[in-house]
Amino acid sequence: MKRASLSALVFDNLKRSKTSVAMSSVGIIVGISALVFFVGLSEGIKEVVLKRIFLIEQVEVIPPKVGFGVSQLNALFGAGPANERLTDEMTETFKGVEGLEGAYPKMKFTFPAFAYGGKELLGRDVRGELIADGIEPALVRDELKAKGLFEDFEAPLACGGEGSSECAPGARCVEGQCVTLSCDPKTDQLMSPEGEQITCDAGSYCADDPKGKGGHCLPPIPILLNEQVLELYNGGLAVALGRGGSLPKISKGMVEGITFHVGLNRSAIMRQRGKSLKRKLKIVGFSDKAMQVGVTLPIGYVRRFNQLFTSSDAAQRYHSIILKVSDQRFFPSIVEEVKRRGLALADKTSNAEQAAKILRTVEALFALVSLIIVGIAAVNISQLFFMLIYQRRREIGLLRALGASEGDLKRVILSEASIIGFVAGSIGAFTGYGAGALVDLIAAQLPRFPYKPETFFIYPAWVWPVAVVAAVTFCALGAYFPARVAARQEPAEALTQ
Amino acid sequence: MSAREPSHTPLSPHTEGEDDTPLIELKGLSKRYSSAGPNAWALKELNLTINTGEMTAIIGTSGSGKTTLLNILGGLDRAYEGSLTVEGRELHTLSDAELSRWRNQEVGFIFQHFHLLDHLSALDNVLLPACLAKGEARAQLDGVEDRAAFLLREVGLGDKLSSRPPQLSGGQKQRVAIARALLFEPSLLLCDEPTGSLDSETGEEIISLFQRLHAQGYTVLMITHEERVSRAARRVIRLEDGLLVSDELTPHAPSTDNKEP
Repeated sequence: MKRASLSALVFDNLKRSKTSVAMSSVGIIVGISALVFFVGLSEGIKEVVLKRIFLIEQVEVIPPKVGFGVSQLNALFGAGPANERLTDEMTETFKGVEGLEGAYPKMKFTFPAFAYGGKELLGRDVRGELIADGIEPALVRDELKAKGLFEDFEAPLACGGEGSSECAPGARCVEGQCVTLSCDPKTDQLMSPEGEQITCDAGSYCADDPKGKGGHCLPPIPILLNEQVLELYNGGLAVALGRGGSLPKISKGMVEGITFHVGLNRSAIMRQRGKSLKRKLKIVGFSDKAMQVGVTLPIGYVRRFNQLFTSSDAAQRYHSIILKVSDQRFFPSIVEEVKRRGLALADKTSNAEQAAKILRTVEALFALVSLIIVGIAAVNISQLFFMLIYQRRREIGLLRALGASEGDLKRVILSEASIIGFVAGSIGAFTGYGAGALVDLIAAQLPRFPYKPETFFIYPAWVWPVAVVAAVTFCALGAYFPARVAARQEPAEALTQ
Repeated sequence: MSAREPSHTPLSPHTEGEDDTPLIELKGLSKRYSSAGPNAWALKELNLTINTGEMTAIIGTSGSGKTTLLNILGGLDRAYEGSLTVEGRELHTLSDAELSRWRNQEVGFIFQHFHLLDHLSALDNVLLPACLAKGEARAQLDGVEDRAAFLLREVGLGDKLSSRPPQLSGGQKQRVAIARALLFEPSLLLCDEPTGSLDSETGEEIISLFQRLHAQGYTVLMITHEERVSRAARRVIRLEDGLLVSDELTPHAPSTDNKEP
């Protein structure tokens, strides 16, 4: 049969039975829209849960969890072998593991600190205890808007030679090394050798010398925030800190570039003795790899501060190692490797592992439910075609008499079913998308809550062809047996009925 | 055989008159409906030869087996015993695809109830076999619409090309069915009670149309229960209870030679 003739015959048949076809298509439309809706919802939730709340793209390794044995007690107080295991050597050993892009140590402040400031943003200064950790700048270098924002500006840096870096603001190149300029923190003025007072470079300020002798022109310490901090603030803290009202809601754009003061080795809630240091911190961006409640600095600063305020030992021991996963398929094997080495997973990673399993299960259940709906619809399609074949049995007999083969009749019926599947599948996919948009619209009216996304739905590109192909496949399967029955119908018998 | 251009001869001169070339040969052909019992023979041991260009009527009462015979001859019913050869080919040996192609190209069916598709125009009904053409037959499809229109004009429906069957009278519907049967100039026209649903006057017109086709060389085989209709054929075969009881030439039947051109 000519393709054009087949098409004409098929479309003509569908046109004649449009009411029955439309009724039978409803099941397919519902099933496919449910499939698209659930896939979009699952992917949207996965995006929030696995990329914002629990990070599936990284594995955070911590020393083994403390039990009740003597050795574990030692570890608890920092004297045991467990804590000592997270060192540079341990970090290096992870670099050869398959599926890892890199291994980056993480070190927390081992001394108290407090932060104050925020007037320009909140209308008044806020003071609070500061929790901080440090990560390698390389871990987040690709995520930030510009290069060189999140770097250790106080690390020794060569200059002047070919390929060497420019010195940071407040430093000058002296004999191939960047040297910070001296200044007086009390007046925030630069002190020239002649005693002349000059202001520090733009982008730097006069910071305390750790040794207590005057000051040095230094850029503010760059810090990263986790988006969760904003979520927590906007979702609750803004009201809690508002003294009866509410502090203004803030966005990422408003926060970036803000500086505030920090008192190192001093606490906002208890008196602390010993040497201390005042510094400025500057928010340079947001990263999922930053601390969830606190701020994250380049690890070099944390190392130096820990050495200054705690001990050399504290400056060499890491609290965790971040394993950056290059391919999520390796996530389970990397987790196994960590456990095999006798190390533990940070709660965040364990939760991510659990959350991923739960989400995959829920997603599979959703998909199964949708496919069951489509399957039931396919049975309906099957009934439709049995009915149509019964109605058209004389016509089928005539077509056989005029030269239609069994294959021709199968092709006609399966083509009709495929067209129903294609149209119903497309409408179903569009309906599913529309339902998602409606949910988003309703959700937009709800009050803000932590991690509330802009959209709850993310549609992977594969969902559209899969939706249509599934609809076509189920319809064709539903019509297969009716098509066989039609093809095997005795033409002589059909014509006499 | 190629589809003729409308500018060529009318309905289509197939061969000039009858010849002795056997078109259909039945040897010991029997048909039994198993559902009706072991001895329910619809046809029993038929031996028959129909030559090319003949106009034959098969007459019998209801239940005599004439429609069963027509279905078997047209390849619509393959559940028979014995041998049936058409143009030297044993129908049993053809695959479904080959048999379908043969029905499409070599057989023209004309039914008592016309079997037109109500949602198609007269022209599209005539073109239906062209939709089902396969393989080499597709080469005949150039100009097939013109030929369909030509055939409709030839059967007197030149002004009804776009009319749908519900808008046509019984005689007009049968003419559309005849035009459809002639689309590919088949070697065999099988007519099942072609006047059964028509009044006598219209029936006469249809019969004379068959005589015209016969005159142009078509092999026409029609089954009927009406003596009046059978008299139009040159050869009359009588069936009773599945048995061939007579096979004779009608003395007054018009011969091929004195048909209108």
